[in-house]
Amino acid sequence: MNLARHLSSFLAAALLSFATISPLSASAQTPRADAEKDPVLKAMLEELNRSMTHLQLPGFEKPYFIEYRLEEVQDFETRAAFGATEGSHHNHARIARITVRVGDYKTDNSSPRGDGALQLTSIDDDPIALRSALWSGTDQAYKAALAAYAQKQAELKQVQTPPQADDFSKSKPIVSLADPLKLSVDENAWNDRVARDSGIYRSDPAVNANQHMIQYSTAAFHARVTTTWIASSEGAIVRKSSSSYSESIGLGTQAEDGMHLDRSYGTSGISLPDLDSPEEFHKHAVTLISSLSDLRQAPIVEEEYHGPVLLSADASADTLHSLLASGITATRPKLGTEARTNGPFASSYKARIMPDFLSVVDDPALKTWEGKYLVGSYSVDDEAVPAQTVQLVSDGHLQNYLIGRTPVRDFPESNGHARAGVTGPARPVIGVLKVTAQQGLSDDELNTRLIQLAKDRGLKSVYYVETLGTEATPRLLYRVDLDGKRTLVRGAVLDDLDQRALRSGVVAAGKNLWVANYATEIPETVLAPALLFDDVTVKRANETNDKLPYYPPPE
Amino acid sequence: MFPAKKFRLPSGSLCSSGPRSAVIATFSLLALALTLAASAQHRSKVHAAARDAAPASPVLLDTMTSELQRAFTSLGKTIPNQKDADKVLPPYFISYSVSDASAVTIRVQYGALADSNTNHVRFADVQVRIGEPKLDNTHGNHRSSAVNSLQMPLSDDRAALARTLWLATNAGYGNALDNYLRVKTEAQVRAREEDSSPDFSKEPPEVSVSAPAPSIAIDRAAWEQRIKALGLVFREFPDVYQNIAMLTVQNQTDYYASSEGSRIVAPRQQARVVVFAVTRAEDGMDLFRGQTFEAETVDGLPSQPQMESAVRELGKSLEALRKAPVTEPFDGPAILSGRASAVFFHEVLGHRLEGQRQRGDEEGQTFTKELNKEVLPPFLSVSDDPTLSTFDKTWLSGTYAYDDEGQKARRVDLIQNGVLKTFLMSRLPIASFAESNGHGRSQTGRMPTGRQGNLIVTSTKTEPEADLRKQLIDEAKRQGKPYGLYFEDISSGFAVTTRSAPQAFQVIPLVVWRVYVDGRPDELVRGVSIVGTPLAAMKRIVATSDKSEVFNGECGAESGTVPVSAVAPAMLVSEIETQRQQQGTQRPPILSIPGAPSTPASKEGQ
Repeated sequence: MNLARHLSSFLAAALLSFATISPLSASAQTPRADAEKDPVLKAMLEELNRSMTHLQLPGFEKPYFIEYRLEEVQDFETRAAFGATEGSHHNHARIARITVRVGDYKTDNSSPRGDGALQLTSIDDDPIALRSALWSGTDQAYKAALAAYAQKQAELKQVQTPPQADDFSKSKPIVSLADPLKLSVDENAWNDRVARDSGIYRSDPAVNANQHMIQYSTAAFHARVTTTWIASSEGAIVRKSSSSYSESIGLGTQAEDGMHLDRSYGTSGISLPDLDSPEEFHKHAVTLISSLSDLRQAPIVEEEYHGPVLLSADASADTLHSLLASGITATRPKLGTEARTNGPFASSYKARIMPDFLSVVDDPALKTWEGKYLVGSYSVDDEAVPAQTVQLVSDGHLQNYLIGRTPVRDFPESNGHARAGVTGPARPVIGVLKVTAQQGLSDDELNTRLIQLAKDRGLKSVYYVETLGTEATPRLLYRVDLDGKRTLVRGAVLDDLDQRALRSGVVAAGKNLWVANYATEIPETVLAPALLFDDVTVKRANETNDKLPYYPPPE
Repeated sequence: MFPAKKFRLPSGSLCSSGPRSAVIATFSLLALALTLAASAQHRSKVHAAARDAAPASPVLLDTMTSELQRAFTSLGKTIPNQKDADKVLPPYFISYSVSDASAVTIRVQYGALADSNTNHVRFADVQVRIGEPKLDNTHGNHRSSAVNSLQMPLSDDRAALARTLWLATNAGYGNALDNYLRVKTEAQVRAREEDSSPDFSKEPPEVSVSAPAPSIAIDRAAWEQRIKALGLVFREFPDVYQNIAMLTVQNQTDYYASSEGSRIVAPRQQARVVVFAVTRAEDGMDLFRGQTFEAETVDGLPSQPQMESAVRELGKSLEALRKAPVTEPFDGPAILSGRASAVFFHEVLGHRLEGQRQRGDEEGQTFTKELNKEVLPPFLSVSDDPTLSTFDKTWLSGTYAYDDEGQKARRVDLIQNGVLKTFLMSRLPIASFAESNGHGRSQTGRMPTGRQGNLIVTSTKTEPEADLRKQLIDEAKRQGKPYGLYFEDISSGFAVTTRSAPQAFQVIPLVVWRVYVDGRPDELVRGVSIVGTPLAAMKRIVATSDKSEVFNGECGAESGTVPVSAVAPAMLVSEIETQRQQQGTQRPPILSIPGAPSTPASKEGQ
């Protein structure tokens, strides 16, 4: 259904973002006594000790490792449509993820599916209730671990090639206790503010002449505070807290030919002052609404084009996120193979994956960039390992992978990149991925290069991508003539923007980095320069052009 | 078969839960889903007795009426700016049904607060019908496609309300058009249908504007303490491995407008406490019990000592069940308690009397040809009466004033002196009945179908419970059985009424006793599962008690989850077949629950 499609694309675009507050208020020497002043940690440690000491099914192995990760999530969300509130929602929950390992570090029950049990726990600091949930989850996880361990032993007998690395790496336990953050927002004010946001299309004189064409207009505000407690049988004790705030708006219409046109804008940060002021947000919203009018008038892109395309730093960040982020993490390969890891760069260690003027580092310690907060920043990962800065690509060559406590060949230890969404298992994920170019060019220089390439190839026009939507679909795409004139076009999709294009198709890069904060359950940031590609395909998306509304909207 | 909303607790619900092992396995994650699903609030639509004099027409109802009128007159007209100026098909019926629902939820787990939340949402269901009542876009299995749902603004902003209704109507019209064209094609290629009734009944419009439900006024902090106290009772029972206590308070107002001229505002309130607990026997059999308390508002709920004592009984019963012997296969006489009979009648009989089950190629149509024939012993009568709000001072949760198709609720005498008289009718006609009898019900987002409200079983052959018990023993002796069975508590099962599955029912007996003929004390057994065919089981009822019991619950079916009640006296059945239920094989927890007297002390914690 069209409606559902629009709303979901808006939701996908509505940026919720997260950030980690990182001050380690205690050194690695924090005595355990400090931890036990925290009723949640005290309950976790008590049940952990009881389980490590007593949990055993007669005739079976005891656990060699138990970890409790307890997350407290507090959300406030308010939504509005067409200028009126649809209501707000609170969520306050604590969820424990319980991991039990049997066997040893070399071979245990772990599998790529993720292990352990989930339990909802109380939001009261009631020690018996907290421990009861942990007890129930530990019992369940231990029994599942015994079954998985037996299965693992059987699977090992099926393959000639032994595993390329241990199942679990050792890690020096840390004690790190950050203060929990509190959720505090003026709820009524935000209800009113998003109601106003969603009604800008009909209230602002600059755009309301075209209000009849708007098919949906929604706005939302979301605030979240997450506090995570981790305790492991190795002695790690961690308490960390993060917060995120976001305000977003999404609108859509159809062109005369039925093509769906959608735009959205979001502002986010780790505290309320990071968000746009109401005036700034309003200005962005008005620009967005005007762009819908422009898009309705814009010509459809030519049928197919192959040639130079300049991606703005914004569009480059999205592209690099999809081409790099999942490939540069190390995960356990399929049993019985000699593979190092999975994904597009599984065999690329020490090989060239980008032009030699590009380098990539993941630096979770980087908290801001040119005054902007980076939501992917964090200091301790979700396996209680301190985050490390990892030089991934030097002069175009892959030098390293992001890894958690699941080792792969040549990478026996975690570099503190195992991260988890609420209730999810920890897995290697980027934090702040920074892509830089030697001798980067200014925007003007990049434009000149783009037009020069067109002339060299005898082309009449080339393309510039200002923003990307989902799946390489440009939201704002311009045809650039040889005299530099830009014409907005609609209905395009990019193709051939793949790992090969990244390796040998980038001819120049910008010097200014764009900050792209990603609002997934695991917050990520990509810092990227504009990229000029030599040969990219631009073609018609040819999506279904649905019927225009069967009758006009109300006056 | 009967999709239930995932977040619904199994206890206290009728016909919505699967086999017991699945219930247990999903229990903890189900609880998790309760909290994490942001929109997982109760959205069932029901109407209740109007009380106050009609106030000024609310902005919401006015906007619904005028926007509906605009849609009805605009749709199907040639649109000037459309390139294809061919005339499109006009709808012959549109209805807007908006539920404005506020809720307070308090959930306690292991005696501590796990969630405390409030919620207020409005949802609009837009129904568009194209064609004619004889054949329209809802025909056959296209029925569910006629409803389009969208969240509505909460304020009285006419422009925003109208715009949202327009958005939903436009999508709904597109859907209806698509389905209508397919219905037409299918009608041409298919053999003649068994039941060639129209798709929509003709009914007069209803106008009834009551005052909206008041906003929820409860002392949340005090109720958090009360619900926690219920959960804390389980600390007396260390062999109860999981427990949840929960309060939900809902105040809801339903607004309905149709192109036929109906304009209805109907409020409804409900307060419900659910307690649910789980244990596991040494052999791996999962055991659960639930207890619910319902009233129109929290003030009508039982006192705290009464509820705590009921929870304590629940805990005792679970610990006793753990140690009870496992049942043996049995075929002999049994008594179903009033509560168990109520569940039994709802499942076995009620669902099969839903009008839409008498029509359609996939339905079993158990009773379709039984009209005016004896289907029960002549001393039994069954009615469904949503206009009753209490039975013997107990509030009935299946009460409503208007159904979800804007039809006035009314008492329907389904079975009189054992003879089948009619069915539970929505506006979907069947061969034997052309009109609704006010039982078209649904949860938000679903197409209404014929459903139960308050199912009431009455008997003219009653005896005191003691005599009934004596008769059970006599009957067991006569059949040469060492004992008869007493079903004290039965939980929801699911009724299978389609042709592709056997015509069987499944209810889950929770508490079953052996009543020995030789005077030994009654013995609790576990793992009892009833087998058999429904008609046969009901025809073997030989007597009933003189006291009726109420079961309040929630019922899930194709049209979603709706609140229902069933009222019945205890019944003596001359023959019932039971077998041992399937069971899990997981051991009970290895360590004892924290806080239990035998918990090994944690030496490290200092």
